[in-house]
Amino acid sequence: MIKSYYTFQQNLEREGIMFSFVGPVSHNVVEGVGTVLRNKMQIEAVSTNVSLKVFSIFIEQIQNVIRYSADRIPEDDLDSEISFGMLIVGEKDDQYFLVGGNRVSQEQKDRLEGSLYKISKMDKDQLKQYYKEQRKADPSEYSKGAGLGFIEMARKASEPIKYNFERIDEENYYFTIESIV
Amino acid sequence: MEVCNIKPTQSTPEIVLDPTTHTHKIKGESYPENSMEFYKGVFDWLDEYIEGLEASQEVVFNIELIYFNSSSSKVLMDIFDIFDDACESGKNILVNWIYEEDNEAILEYGEEFAEDYESLNFHFVVLD
Repeated sequence: MIKSYYTFQQNLEREGIMFSFVGPVSHNVVEGVGTVLRNKMQIEAVSTNVSLKVFSIFIEQIQNVIRYSADRIPEDDLDSEISFGMLIVGEKDDQYFLVGGNRVSQEQKDRLEGSLYKISKMDKDQLKQYYKEQRKADPSEYSKGAGLGFIEMARKASEPIKYNFERIDEENYYFTIESIV
Repeated sequence: MEVCNIKPTQSTPEIVLDPTTHTHKIKGESYPENSMEFYKGVFDWLDEYIEGLEASQEVVFNIELIYFNSSSSKVLMDIFDIFDDACESGKNILVNWIYEEDNEAILEYGEEFAEDYESLNFHFVVLD
């Protein structure tokens, strides 16, 4: 058990984390937290450009957790999908960092890795071309959106995306993606 | 045809499609839970509207979005594809891409759309 919740919060704050969430996510959380984030940055007089970049990455990351986390409650039983995952937004050394995390299967990992590697090596012009190409293409059978989320995150970030697959057991990995603005 | 009038929510835009004025708008934010599902009615409406549209009729489409997510971007492209085809067959559609001056991302994404279409014209309108 956590002995001191105050220390727990202080530890997060020391890392610059201003928002952290672990648990069930649905579209209500997307709207609610997204709006609070934007309001907070507006109050702190963060420029529209930066605040919309942060917001944009936040939306793509959280919607990816909802769509692709391997931990989920089947949609048929609900009005709105619920998936389990992690989201972190922080600010350190004058930069914002955003991290999304969720469990994926071995099969998902194999599919994602190649495309993430490709995106992480592209410069802004290549990303723009790739984004346009993919937007024209039909989304893959595994995609629940337009298949553009990772490219969008990379376009809005000031550094290449970082990603990791941490092995949980034979079948499962914990997938994280980190973006910096 | 009836007016299509969709009220805005936190994550979806206000949409007004008016077959009498031929001035239409999509305004606000667009990051629906499921973009394809949310915009399905818009596509159905547009298909019927474009079908019955006279070539001489001037049509103005005002797009005033503050933010849209990547799956909405795909939807916008599909809408512009329909307009571009209609313009190619002689129809007269103009897109007004309306943006706040400090919203560079929206301007950039608008320009990227504009450079992809030959027959459909984009007019950029900056808000004070």
